[in-house]
Amino acid sequence: MVNLKKSLFRLTDVLELCIAYTFCFSLNLTFDYVKTVDLESYILKSFFENFLDYQLQIVILSTFIVIVFHYQMLYRKKTEVFCKILVGDTGLNITARYSLDCLTILVFVYLLSTLVSVYLNLSLTGNLFLPLIFAVYILISARQVRKYEDI
Amino acid sequence: MKIFKFFVSKIFLRKVIPSISVILLICMSNYITYIAARTVISTFQGYQETRGLNQEGNFIANLDPNSVADFGAIEAKGTQKVYDYLNSHFDYAFYVDGFMVSIPNSYDMEISLCYMNESYYAANQFELLQGTDLMFDFPLGEDKEIPVLIGKGLSETYPVGSLINIDDPALNQAITLKVQGVLKGNEYHSNFYALNSKSYYIFSIFVPVNEEFINHANLGLQVNGLMDIVVLQTTEEKILDLSEVIQDTLGLKFNFFSQQDNYEYFNEYYFHSLKIVAVVSLILLLMITCLSVWNALVSIRLMLKDLTINLLVGLSYSKLRKIFYSYFGIVFLINLVIVFSFTAMNRYGCWLRKDATFSTYGLFGLIGMDWLALLFVVVSDIVIGIIVVEIMLRKIKKVPISLGVLQ
Amino acid sequence: MMKVIDLSIKEKIYKSKQSQLSILNNFNLEVAAGEKIAIVGESGAGKSSLLNIIGLLDRNYVGEYTLFGSPTDHSHTSELAQWRNQRIGFVLQESALINSLTVEDNIKLPFLYAGSEKKNLREDENFETVVNAIGIKPILKKKPLECSGGERARAVFARGIIMKPQIILADEPTASLDMENRERIVALLFGLNREFGTTIITVTHDLEIANRHDRVIHLERSK
Repeated sequence: MVNLKKSLFRLTDVLELCIAYTFCFSLNLTFDYVKTVDLESYILKSFFENFLDYQLQIVILSTFIVIVFHYQMLYRKKTEVFCKILVGDTGLNITARYSLDCLTILVFVYLLSTLVSVYLNLSLTGNLFLPLIFAVYILISARQVRKYEDI
Repeated sequence: MKIFKFFVSKIFLRKVIPSISVILLICMSNYITYIAARTVISTFQGYQETRGLNQEGNFIANLDPNSVADFGAIEAKGTQKVYDYLNSHFDYAFYVDGFMVSIPNSYDMEISLCYMNESYYAANQFELLQGTDLMFDFPLGEDKEIPVLIGKGLSETYPVGSLINIDDPALNQAITLKVQGVLKGNEYHSNFYALNSKSYYIFSIFVPVNEEFINHANLGLQVNGLMDIVVLQTTEEKILDLSEVIQDTLGLKFNFFSQQDNYEYFNEYYFHSLKIVAVVSLILLLMITCLSVWNALVSIRLMLKDLTINLLVGLSYSKLRKIFYSYFGIVFLINLVIVFSFTAMNRYGCWLRKDATFSTYGLFGLIGMDWLALLFVVVSDIVIGIIVVEIMLRKIKKVPISLGVLQ
Repeated sequence: MMKVIDLSIKEKIYKSKQSQLSILNNFNLEVAAGEKIAIVGESGAGKSSLLNIIGLLDRNYVGEYTLFGSPTDHSHTSELAQWRNQRIGFVLQESALINSLTVEDNIKLPFLYAGSEKKNLREDENFETVVNAIGIKPILKKKPLECSGGERARAVFARGIIMKPQIILADEPTASLDMENRERIVALLFGLNREFGTTIITVTHDLEIANRHDRVIHLERSK
């Protein structure tokens, strides 16, 4: 999925980002799914309402772990960025590759979540705001890569 | 303290993103624990409350949800006939609430009238702050006073012995109520069919109901009273007869549930639901704990050099452990304050919204079950804290100090 | 002369998933107070490992170690931390500074763990003396990344000596420095030895510097 030779991503990084995205998508999907279930139990209904009432806020807050991922990943890759530039790579190329790798993982997880949505008969637009948020995170973090050019 | 301050200001808070992240994760875990604990406690309280009426030989009525009920066709003659039958053959607990009246009070709340007969009152054993118990042997009439109990919220305006004039929505006439006693702070009533949902009696008036009262009451009170009626100390055969009388007279199909039926229902419905609540909460907590551990390890990766340099110049691992625990203690405290504020906003919001049914007494309206749920939050925080801190320390100890300082 | 270090290592093993490396086999070292010792040898011979053991940073070895007359093998980690704080000074490469702190805060870091009020009274006096001696006053308010390599090396040196330790362990302190800064650091190191009788143990690849010590220990890579 990701070209591990030139990419800043290693297998663990790919897994970590996959898990972070999956957590956010599955949280939102679970909320959407619970909404469609006809809960007979008042206890369950009122229990889940405590979360469903704040669905958007909870999901958006949970996306913060993706910010943590980008932040720590780039912090750790400072030297790697610098060394790659030393041996002939360019900041622009590294940034482009980094953004592309993140987007590939995002598209993969999004497609997976879409499949689950189809399987569970959920609205396909319910998850659409998450890729937009994540794309913004990717763009912001990509700017950070350029900062490490002159470490 | 000096070392702790140094670590918080110069090391931990310098890594803003992981610091915010840990607060958010703990906040989520606290919210889940709090909601789950409160659901369980509230259901348990409701279950305890029903035990007063759910005795052997008692039958609790419930309108069959699958039957077709035409309330418009019900006439006063019919309900009277049912009550006559009830009075002559059974002892029963009668309770109806939700009839609202407006009377002046210090908090400008709408007042809920709760009509109950002697058997219902005896089964519930309400605690009083002042005055004496309800009396059910009273005459009805324009110049007569009905002895009532009031919620604590009304006691400032209506002390024991004072009179309240209202247009009674059940009798459709003006009556005078005499305050006989004041209920204790947060007395409540749980819904039979939603044990975790409660109405509080702070702005309620307990109106005693006897046979004469029911006979003079309007159709609304009579029909509503039948919906939740509890027939006491009887047999299944007699209950079947009653059920037939109701069906023939009013065209309503009622189910009457015995103690055994209720236990089975509780087991199947409430305990099953509570199990789901517990499992869902545990899964979510587990996921959040894993994310917290990941976040902590990420923080260690970012702070490794700073930490090991401190270890090099004299910080010991045991001191570092204390620093971590103190730091997480503060993070937990912040989150506890957030959950507390959220609860206080909800509880105190009821007072601001003039929501008489849900207003409660306590610090910002927090009641016993809220504090107990907060205690659960503290326990879950301690468990998460121990897991995260010990894993962080293991990770730090694995890295040789001499390598860490040159990271 | 009083013995400050009495170290006897039977074996020190490094394990990785693929292999196992044994170094410092049957290595013995005795150091007297005020002695200057240089440790040289090829990469991988165990020079830095030896320094870590002497500096109480590493206890994963087979052997016995007596420091200042007290056996260290069963000491509690907080006791070892206290010794590192009060009696041992580390002079490492110039990158061993906390980048988010100013140079002044980095130098004063050991005071944080000194504890008693007596030590706090010593704080300003020591700090002034050391800063003036090393000549780093102009960079005190700077962050390490705003300083040159030589300035950072001097800051690391200042932190290593600020507590007036009895032993200074220097791990290639001049490795990344130009000639001028190199001489400056060596002069400071030996000055301490002359003035206060501080024991100096230096790991270095630089034979010229090594030969200026009282004793040179050659470590060889295990076969």
